[in-house]
Amino acid sequence: MNFEAVIGIEIHVEMKTKSKMFSASPNRFGALPNTLVTPLDMAFPGTMPRLNKQAVINALRVVNALHMEIDHDLYFDRKNYFYADLPKGYQITQDKRPIGKNGYVEIETSHGVKRISIERLHMEEDTCKQLHLASYSLLDYNRAGTPLVEIVSRPEIRNGEEAMKYVGKIREIVIYSLVSDGKMEEGSLRCDVNISLRPAGSDVFGTKVEIKNLNSLSNVQKAIDFEMHRQEKLLLSGQKVEQETRRFDETKKETVLMRKKTDAVDYKYFTEPNLVPVHLSDEFINDAIASCPELADEKLVRYTKMGLGKDEALQILDSYDMAMYFDKTLDKGASIKGLWNFLTGDVASYLKKNNLTIKEFNVSPDHLVSLMKIIEKGDVSYPQGRKIFEEMVKNDEDPLMLQEKLGLKQNSNQDEILTLCQTAMKNNPQSIIDYKNGKDRALGFLVGQVMKASKGKANPQMVSKTIKELLDKE
Amino acid sequence: MSYLDKNIVELHNLLVEKKVTPLMLATEAIEKAKKDSNNAFETILEKEALEFAKTLVEPEKDNLFWGIPYVAKDNFSTKDILTTASSNILKDYVPVFDATVIKKLKEAKAVLIGKTTLDELAMGGTGTTGHLGMTYNPYDPEHKYMVGGSSCGSAAAVAGGIVPFALGSDTGDSIRKPASYAGLVGYKPTWGKISRYGLFPFAPSLDHVGFFTRSVLDAAYSLNLLQGKDYNDSTSSFLPNEDNTENINQGIEGMKIAVLKPIINSVHEEVILKAFDKTVEGLRKGGATVDYIDFDDDLLNAIYPTYMVISCAEATSNNANLDGIKFGPRIGGENTYQEVMMKARTTGFSELIKRRFVIGSYSLFKDNQKYLFLRAQKARHMIVRKINEVFDTYDAIYLPCVAKVRNPFDGGYSDKLSSTYLVAENHLAIGNFGGLPSISLPIGLDNKFPFDGNLTAKAHEDKKLLRIAYALEKITSLKDLSVEKVVK
Repeated sequence: MNFEAVIGIEIHVEMKTKSKMFSASPNRFGALPNTLVTPLDMAFPGTMPRLNKQAVINALRVVNALHMEIDHDLYFDRKNYFYADLPKGYQITQDKRPIGKNGYVEIETSHGVKRISIERLHMEEDTCKQLHLASYSLLDYNRAGTPLVEIVSRPEIRNGEEAMKYVGKIREIVIYSLVSDGKMEEGSLRCDVNISLRPAGSDVFGTKVEIKNLNSLSNVQKAIDFEMHRQEKLLLSGQKVEQETRRFDETKKETVLMRKKTDAVDYKYFTEPNLVPVHLSDEFINDAIASCPELADEKLVRYTKMGLGKDEALQILDSYDMAMYFDKTLDKGASIKGLWNFLTGDVASYLKKNNLTIKEFNVSPDHLVSLMKIIEKGDVSYPQGRKIFEEMVKNDEDPLMLQEKLGLKQNSNQDEILTLCQTAMKNNPQSIIDYKNGKDRALGFLVGQVMKASKGKANPQMVSKTIKELLDKE
Repeated sequence: MSYLDKNIVELHNLLVEKKVTPLMLATEAIEKAKKDSNNAFETILEKEALEFAKTLVEPEKDNLFWGIPYVAKDNFSTKDILTTASSNILKDYVPVFDATVIKKLKEAKAVLIGKTTLDELAMGGTGTTGHLGMTYNPYDPEHKYMVGGSSCGSAAAVAGGIVPFALGSDTGDSIRKPASYAGLVGYKPTWGKISRYGLFPFAPSLDHVGFFTRSVLDAAYSLNLLQGKDYNDSTSSFLPNEDNTENINQGIEGMKIAVLKPIINSVHEEVILKAFDKTVEGLRKGGATVDYIDFDDDLLNAIYPTYMVISCAEATSNNANLDGIKFGPRIGGENTYQEVMMKARTTGFSELIKRRFVIGSYSLFKDNQKYLFLRAQKARHMIVRKINEVFDTYDAIYLPCVAKVRNPFDGGYSDKLSSTYLVAENHLAIGNFGGLPSISLPIGLDNKFPFDGNLTAKAHEDKKLLRIAYALEKITSLKDLSVEKVVK
C-alpha cells in the first residue's frame, strides 16, 4: 500500500528585542543565570505586563513576509497551566485573535516550487529555562518572558525535504528581517513537527505523532524520514500508531519515545485583563513593514537584475552575513560580477582554509573594493593582487599602501612593454620560426620571457597582445 | 490631646501652623494602633514610621499629605515590608518593590503606620477570612457585628480614629460596603484612574484601588494625589488629570439623580429608608431632580452570579503564581515540582479560597465557558449597557449601600436568593462591572451604628460625582465620623 504523510509544523521563534515581551528586563542569550530578571519575570504579586512595541513591529514584519492577513486590534489571552518553568501559572499568548492568519510561503524542492499554507502567527512569551540535575532542578528566569512568535503551518507538508525547506524558509525570513538570530542549536528557533500517515488518496487523518527537539535543519529532514518509515512499518504489519510525543536522537538517528499523550490539558483560555486591546493604525503597520530590512527574496530579484545568475545569487544569500558583506561592498562601488567572483573564489577559499566565517573576515568592504579596482585597472596583475590580499587579511591595511610597500606595481606602459617584447624576440629567434610553423606554444614562451625580464611586473595581457602583434608582423 | 479623629485637611492646617508635628501624629497613631482591639493590623510599622516622621521638619504648605499618617491594606506591595494579603501562602512574603500608590504617598511624605487586615486575598465581604481571624467593627465593643470586607482592617483603622486615611481595594464592593458599616467615606474611582501596579490582583477587570477618608473633600484631594497614567499599568487611563476639588462646593442645581426602584424596594429597614428619603428631599431642595426609575429585575438578579463567575475565574488564574516555588513558604515536596505546588497550595489557602478557585476553574473549562464564563461576560455587558443608558439622562445614581445597617457574624441572611440579599446587598458590584466612579458616604445613624448611601456616576465623571457627594455630605452633616465622636 502507498502511504502519504500529513505533516504540520509549529515553529517558535525567539525575537531579538532589547527588552522582554512584557517587562523592561533586558532580553539576551548567554548572560549569567537569573541576572536578567525583573519582578514581573518572577511573577511577584502586583506586577503587570507592558506590551513591547518592537515585538509587535517584528511580528508584523514576519506576518507581512508570510503574506498573512493582519489583525488591526491586538488581543492577548491567558493560557493557564501549572508547570515549574511557568512563573505566573499562565502564559500570555494570543489564542482567539492571532496578529496574523491565512498566509503562505513558497519553497523550492527537488520536485519544483510548492506553496505551503500557514494557518496563524501569534505573539507570546517564553517560559524559564530548566536544568535538571541528578537530585534537583535549577531554574533560570533570564529566558522567562522572552518575546516569541509562533508560526503554525497547515498540514500540507508531505516529506522530510519539504519540511526542511519550509523551516529553512521561515528561518531565512526571520533572520533577514532581523526579527531573530534563528539559531536552532541555541533554541532561538524551535520546531515541533506533527506527523501522521494515511493511505495515498485518502482524506482521513491517521494518528498524529509529535516530534520535538529538532535542533538543525538536517535533523528536521532526518527525523521525518525516519518517522515516516517507522509508522509505515507499523501500519504494514497491522499495528497501530500510538498518539505520542517523540524526540530525535542524534546519535541513533532515530526518533525515540518521550511520553504517551494522555487527555489534552484544558488551558482555560480567557482574555488577559491587564492588557487593554491595542488598535494598530494603518500608519503603524505600514511603517513596521516599510522599515523591514530587505528580505532574501527581494535581494534575489535585485541581484539577478544586476546581472547575477539565480544560482549565483542564491549562493550568496545562503548566508545572511555573506549577503550583508556582499551588499556593503556593492555599495562601495564594486562590480557585481567581479565581487561575486572574488567572494566565492579567493575569499571563500581563504575563509575555508582558516576555518573562519565571513563575520570574522578582516578586510573592510572599502579595501576590498580598492583591491578589485587596481586589479581591474591593471595597476597590479592578478597574482600580485593575491599577494596583496594575503597581506590585507592580517590587518585590513589599505591595498594601495600595501602595493607600494610590497613594491607590486604592474607595468602597463605601452612603450616599455614594446621594448621588452622586442628584446625578447630578438633574443629568441627560434621561437619566431616555431610560431610561424604553427607552434602556438612559442607565444607563451615569449610572454614568459618578457614576464621574467620584467620581474613579473609587466601587464601579462598587454604583453601577450603586443607579442602577438609583433609576431604577426614578422 | 487626640488629633487623629480629625480629617486630612484639618490635620494639614495644624501641621502647617506647627501646632502639631508629623512625629506627634505618628506617635499617636502608633500608640492607638498598638491598642487596637479589632484585629485591624497585620503589621504595625513603629520603627519605620517614627524614623520617617522624625525627618519631616519643615511643613510643606502646598502638600496636603505631608506628615499625614495612613495605613494600607495588606494587599499593596510594600518594598522591604511584609505583605501577606492575610493569607498563609504569603505569610513570609517581603516584596522587592512598592506599589505605585505607595510610592506616590511616600513621595508626598505621608507616613505609613501599618498594613491592615483583609479577607484572605481580598476575596470575601465579611472581614472574617484573613489568616489572623476576624476583624471587628470598632462601633461594636461586643464584637457581634461585622465591619465588612474585604478592606476590613483599613475601615476599622479609620473609624477607630487611628489614621485619617487608608488605602483599600474594591473588586465587588470591598471599600464601599465596609465604609457603610464603619461610617466613612469610601471611594473607588473610574477603572484606570488610579494605577493598580503593586495591588495584588484578585480579578483585574474588576479590581480598583480606592480609599477611606472622613470627608468628601479629603476624598477629592486623595484622588488628586493618586490619579494618573502609570507606565507600569498599561490599563491606566491616559486622559488628563483633573483637579477634583475645583468647584466641589458649587452645589447641584439642575443635576439629575436616579434612584433604581427595584433596588430601593428591596430595602426594608425603616431607619435606612427614612434616612434615605430625607436625603432625597435634601437633594431636591438643593436644586437637583431625583427620579425613581424602573430597571430590569433579571439584570439585577444576575449581578451576584455574574460577579462570582467572573471574579472567581480571574482569581484562579491570578493566584496561580502562588505555587511555593519562587516565594512564600516551602511546605515540602522532595520529589517533584507538582508535590511542591500541591503542598504549598493545599496548606497555604483556606477552604473558602479553594472553593472559589474550583468555581473559577470550572467556569473556565473549555466545555463550560459558553455556559458560565462567557455567559457571565455577556450578562456583565448587558448590565453595564443598561446602566450607561441611565447616565444618558442622569448625572448619578443614588442608593443605600446596604439593606441592613448591621450585619451580625452569626449569619445575617438565611435566604441568599431573597431580593434583599441578592439585589440590595450586591448592587454595588455594578460599579465594578462598568469601572464606574462610586462613592459611599454616611447618611444616617441607627443607635450609634452609622450607615452609608452610595452615589455612582458615568465613567470618567469622578469630578462631578465628588461634587454631588459633597452636596450630599452637607445635607446630612455626617462628616468626620469616628467611634469616639459618635459614641460621645
